[in-house]
Parts: sequence; C-alpha cells; structure tokens
Amino acid sequence: MAFASVRSSTLLGVQGKAVDVEIHVGMGLPGFTIVGQPDEACRESRDRVRAALLSCDLPWPNRRITVNLATSVHERKGGAGLDVAIAIGLLIVQDILPNEIAERYAFIAELGLDGTLRPVAGVVPLVAAIDDRIVVVANECEREARIAARDEVVCAQTLAHLVKCLTGEAEWIPAPTRTSIIVAPPIVDMKDVRGQSAARQALEIAAAGAHHLLFVGPPGAGKSMLAQRISGILPVLTDEEAVATTIVHSAAQVSLPQTGIITMPPFRAPHHSTSLVAMVGGGTSTMRPGEISLATNGVLFLDELGEFAPTVLDALRQPLEDGVVRLARAKSSITMPAKFLLIAATNPCPCGEGMPGVCVCDDSAKKRYLRRFSGPLLDRFDLRVAVSRPHVDELLADTPAESSAAIAKRVLHVREMAMLRSGCLNSCLSADMLDTYAPLTTAAAALLRHHLERGRLSGRGYHRIRRVARTIADLQNANNHSVDQVDEAHVATALALRVGVHPQLNGDKL
Amino acid sequence: MNEDCVFAAALSAVPRLGTRRLSAMLAVQSPRKAMEMLGREAPSTQDIAAMKQKLEDGEMSVSYVGAHDYPALLLDDVARPSVLFYRGDLNVLQQRRVGIVGTRAATAAGRYMASHLAYDLSEQGVAIVSGLARGIDAWAHKGVLLALDRDIKSHDSKISARDSHCGQAIAIVASGLDVTYPKENAELWKFVAENGLLVSESPPGTMPEAFRFPLRNRILAALCEVLVVIESHAKGGSMITVEEAQRRDITVMAVPGSPRALSSFGTNLLLQQGCAPVVDATDVMVALGLDNRRNHPQVFDSRRTPSAQDQILISHMRCEAVTLDQLLMRTSTDLVQTALALGRLESEGWVVNNAGWWEVLGRGC
Repeated sequence: MAFASVRSSTLLGVQGKAVDVEIHVGMGLPGFTIVGQPDEACRESRDRVRAALLSCDLPWPNRRITVNLATSVHERKGGAGLDVAIAIGLLIVQDILPNEIAERYAFIAELGLDGTLRPVAGVVPLVAAIDDRIVVVANECEREARIAARDEVVCAQTLAHLVKCLTGEAEWIPAPTRTSIIVAPPIVDMKDVRGQSAARQALEIAAAGAHHLLFVGPPGAGKSMLAQRISGILPVLTDEEAVATTIVHSAAQVSLPQTGIITMPPFRAPHHSTSLVAMVGGGTSTMRPGEISLATNGVLFLDELGEFAPTVLDALRQPLEDGVVRLARAKSSITMPAKFLLIAATNPCPCGEGMPGVCVCDDSAKKRYLRRFSGPLLDRFDLRVAVSRPHVDELLADTPAESSAAIAKRVLHVREMAMLRSGCLNSCLSADMLDTYAPLTTAAAALLRHHLERGRLSGRGYHRIRRVARTIADLQNANNHSVDQVDEAHVATALALRVGVHPQLNGDKL
Repeated sequence: MNEDCVFAAALSAVPRLGTRRLSAMLAVQSPRKAMEMLGREAPSTQDIAAMKQKLEDGEMSVSYVGAHDYPALLLDDVARPSVLFYRGDLNVLQQRRVGIVGTRAATAAGRYMASHLAYDLSEQGVAIVSGLARGIDAWAHKGVLLALDRDIKSHDSKISARDSHCGQAIAIVASGLDVTYPKENAELWKFVAENGLLVSESPPGTMPEAFRFPLRNRILAALCEVLVVIESHAKGGSMITVEEAQRRDITVMAVPGSPRALSSFGTNLLLQQGCAPVVDATDVMVALGLDNRRNHPQVFDSRRTPSAQDQILISHMRCEAVTLDQLLMRTSTDLVQTALALGRLESEGWVVNNAGWWEVLGRGC
C-alpha cells in the first residue's frame, strides 16, 4: 500500500481545524518532504518522526516519502501536533497497522526522539475539531482533552505502546479516578480591605452589573488590592462559559487548574509593558489569543493605566463594545472571544497625589498626563472612583469588614435577577431596553437632564449612568422582582461614582 | 515712536550690559549719549532698526529710567528696571493697587477665592497686579475681567473698559511681550494689554527662561500697595514675591487655609509670622486705608441655602478636599444619601468635584 490518510488537527486562534495528513511512499531517491504550507515546527517533524520510529524498533521506509497536509492549501499549518499522525500514517503505508485504524482514530500529540508522546498547546480546541473519531492524545493532556470531546479520548505513553494498543496487544492507559477533593485556589478576601467604603461598593456594583471600573488614586491607596479582590465576589462560571474560557486558555497554553476546567472567572493582570499583539492576540501563524481573550468571562485588570502604550489601550475599544476581537491578517481572519470586565487603576496626576491642596502639579501638567487616556476609552468606564489612602484609625481597626462570600451572594442574586428580567446583565442593556427595564422616575429624569444640560454627561455617558443606576437599584431592592423604577437616589449614586477625571476649573461662578 | 525710546530698547538687549549699569547710565544721560559711550559694544544700526520694527509690530511702548513717563513708583526702587516695555496705559498705575499671587497648582477653592477677591476689589476701584501665570494669577485677572464686563453691561455697553470705574488689571510678565506664556492664557494676555497694563522688563522676543520669573516678581512686588497670597506651597514663586515685597516694606496679607493642605503651607507660614489674614475684600480695603463702610458689601448669594443636613456635609468638606470614601467615613451616612446630597449641593454650586475630590466653594453658609 502506497497511500494513507490520517486525521489530526491544527490550531488557528482559539479554533481547531481538522487536517488530513496524507502520506505517500513511492519510488524515487529516499527522502522526506512535507507539503501543504507547514510551518517551521511542523517541517521539523520529519526528523522527530524518523528518530521516534527508529527508537521504538519500528521500520522506516527507505523510499521517497511525501506528506501532504490536506484541506486548504492556503492556510498555514502550525505546531508539532501532527507528529503522531505522520508516524501512524507511515506505519499504515508499511502494512504494520491496518488501514481501518485511520478511519477510527485521530491523533494529536508531539513525538519525542525516544518515541514518547508529548502534550501540545490547545488540546481542548484541537480535540473539539474532530467529531467522528476517537482521539489519541498524550497522557498529560488527557484531562484537558476530555473537556472538549465527550469520552472518546484515549491516551498512550509512547509510540511503541500506542502501536500495541491499536493492534490490541496492550491496554490503553486507564482514565485516572478523579479525586473528589477540589482544592479551592486561595482567594484574597474583601474582609481584609479596611475603610474604602465607596470603592468597595463600586466594586460590588461592577461585579453585579458587569460595569467597567476605573480607580483613580495616589500610590498606596489600595487600588490594586481592591481590584484583585473582585475574583472572590464574581459568581462561578456557567458550564458554557467554563468551556469557552478553558478553550482559550488551552489554546494559549496557559496552565489550567488541576480539575482541567476553569470554573472561576479568570483574573488577568498584564504588566503595562504589554505589546499590542500580546494584548489583542495574533503574532504567530497559529494566532495566539491575547490577554483580552484570556480574560474572557472574567476580569482584565490594567494597573497603572497611564503607562500602557496608547495604541494598546485604544485597541481595547472595539472588543469592549462587541465582546469579541476580530483579527485579520493577509492569510487568515479570525474571531476570538473577548467578553471581559475591565478594571483599571491609575494615578490622578504626575506627582501621584491628586488631592487638591496636596498635589503639586499645575493644570497643564495634569492635562498632559491625562492625555494618555483617550476620551473614548475613559467614556467606556461606567464607574470612575477616586480612592484615597485609608485613615489610620480604619487601618488599625480590628473589626473585619464584610467578607467576599456575603457580597458574592448579593452579586449572584442581582445577576440572576437581571438575567430573568431582561436576558442580559445590566451593562448589556441597549438604549431601548433601558426604557423598558429601567424606567426613570420624574425626579431621576430631571437630575439627568440637569447634568446633560450642563454638558457634564455625554450621550454615551447618559446611557451608562442609567445602566449603573439600574444595578444600584437592584442591589438595594434585592427582594423585589418586579420591574421597578429607578429613582433619583440611584441616579445620584451612579453620578457620584462616575467622577470626571479631568481637573475642574470651576472658580468663576460668581 | 520717540527715537530715544528705540535706543533705550536696543540698549536693553545688549548682552553683558546689566540692568543696574544701564539704569545708572540712563539716570544721568539720554539713551543716545549712552549709546555713544558704549562705543564698540553699542548695538548696530541694523539692530536698532530691527528693534524699532519689533516694537511697532507688537504695539509696544517703552519707558526708561530718566524718561518723563517712567513710573515714579519704580524710580526709587532698590532694583529698578532700566527699561520697561509695556502695552496699555501707564496711568492705570494711578489707581489703588493690590497684588494677588499664588501657586500654579491651585485647588478649586483657591481659584474661586482668587477670582472672587479680585472681582470684589475691582468693583471698589482697586487695580489688581498679578503675573499672568497658571493657577491663582490667571484666576485673579479673570475676576477683574468679569467685574469690568459686568460694569460695562450695566451701562448698556455705552462705555469702554477704560472709562469704567472698576479697578484695572496690571500684569507683569517675564517673557517678551510678543511671547505669550503660558499659551492657555493668551486671551487674558490680550485683554490685559488692551484694557489694563501689561509690563515686561525683557525686550521683545525674549523666551520665558526660568531665571526671569524671580526677577519679574521684584517688579510685581514693587508695583503693589498690598500683596495678597491666596495659596502657596512652602516654596515657590509666590514666596519669592513675598520676600521682595517685604524688602520694600509692602504690606503682605495671606488667605488662611487648612493646616493640613500643603497648598496653604506657605500662606499659613506667613500668618504665623504675623501677616494679616484675608477673608474677604473688606480686609484688603481696610489695609489700603479705604473706608468702604458705606459700600454695603454684597451679602446676597444667589445659591439657595442648604438644608441643615447638607450644611453638616459641607462642614465635613470645609477643611480639605475629600473623596467620597472619606466623606462617607466622616459623616457615617450611607452612599446613596450622601450621593443625593452631593448632587443637590453641586447643582446649586456649593461644592465641586475636582477630578474625584470634593471641594467647597466660597465661604459657605
């Protein structure tokens, strides 16, 4: 037999794509060519496959070998996950394995020179791309693989072991019995935060309605401390969200928790030197997901917002609106999830103090500093809260504040309430939905009108305030399931929690 | 333009000819003679022609020690400027003059104080001397602008700013008169030049170099009868002006601030050393020796008096700017009630949110 076709898959962005590895062995000078747009790692597999076959005492055909990576000729195939498929193809061609194997199994693993099967990046989406075959993966990624593909996953240790399993001479490695004890990751608790009552409430509102939040304050005020505690008050992911998030993390080769599936909302805090590609994704031929995709269904925390490159920050604008990021390159165009809650922290001015009377920066220095954040980006924060250093009495107080667990209960309740009422979280309410689900009382409408007339609120800001006010009202009347009105107090609170970042130059009101 | 004025202007631009030497020369002879005395150092005819052109382009006038219009106030000064470039009218110096200076990094409350004090004084016919810097200086002159504006409107726009009985704006700047600095004050700069008096010691084209500001401050101090410092950090241009004023026996007054606010550190220090405090325009009028008992001070405040509850809230913000967090802690009320009250007070103009910090405006209730 001169030809075999074995199923495997490659990764593009966060999606796997089934690839048929076609192997032809024929007359001619002995040689090994891989065609069909392999990338560098893929092309190197010929050396790995040869070494692995020889190490396992399996024959190597001394003839002309051509491997074609079929489906589309135009897409570049990357990664080392095709190694095992090539090796199995070679064995089928040499009649060591029957041809039926290729119709029953697909193979996703890299080969070591000694013939061991090694795990590859993105097992979850890779396995998910194959639907009609049993998937063989390396032992280490068995747990990950099972998330995507029901139970049709088997594992082998080495190539020799794999061949024996396929011919029925050996048993597949049995699935390990799951330990039922799930070690909860250590979560920082809200009860450690002293004082900061407005900031705490802003965090709770942000979590309950998925509103983007900006902390402004001097160094040492506890901005980062507060932001890190949001993971503890967000509800655990639904099954659907968990799989979506796990797929992204797997594709980006970010370590997964022991259980194999991500159930807690991810918290990503990239450093401010992060490049554009690392933030939004792309870069390699496999289009690695960026930080915004890794934060999907979770939190993206940008500390020292002003230190990020302006291009990086402005790249966040479209994903913030759409919940997905669309990357287009010359050869491919992909969509990756990017539905995250943005929390950012920044100093108010170059000296860092910000408090009028203490700050030593003049107006133009402040303006220059604030020019780093574009207006449209600042406008996308629903909540903007000034954080000050807590008072000594508060710091030393021994009465612990409310714990994360208690807050999380309220957050979950409000989220469920919003989903029942409008089918989406409060931050996703569209303008016409706002009138249905967040009607304003006359007083509340008058207050908003006053702010609009004074030019303190943009059109976008107006809707954002109404969404936040809806969440505040929900948190207040947590037991009332009816579509109640949003009153003046809720709107005033929303306004107080969305302060202008630019210095007020009001001195002239005579 | 008078030929002597052009010569004096050209002389002031000669390098290595200091103010003191030039002023000594001009005191005893005309600029033309001084020019001859300088010999090789003297500016060339091209330089003189260029200077003349610049003066005409910038509509600048020149006065020098020895000229008949040189301000008498400066003639006896310990460090009198040899040549003065100015736009506007030197007669404005005949008005009573109060200097208002302060930090560039001012609080909203400080800016409010500066513009209100300047407004009230200008209404009483007192000219305001300042430096057209960012922050307090600019807001003081904005107060004058508003007072003049209101006065002209009250006369159905039939009078010009010069005929107004209001005090005018006098600005002493460090750069050349054709180099507007800082740029954001360009409007004010123009206003002062057209209606009041804009003075500089530096020849046209001079850049705002750092060393020129302390020098400018000595002229500023010399032109005041009373100097009021609104807000100042422990060090800064305002404190240099204060020193210059004290050298010249000019009364220095200061606006008290919270002992915890760094921006009032300098003013509080002055009060500690015995300066008279300024709370409103009356204090300054008394220091000027002006009797304004008959001018009933305007007690009408268009802002609605806050409720007792809201007044408590204001009292918690009076000492220093506070964030919402601090306010919640101090008042021990809940977020929603505080937010409502702040919304009310803000719309009435009692408080203002300055980049996240709440400040009280004016003396309050």
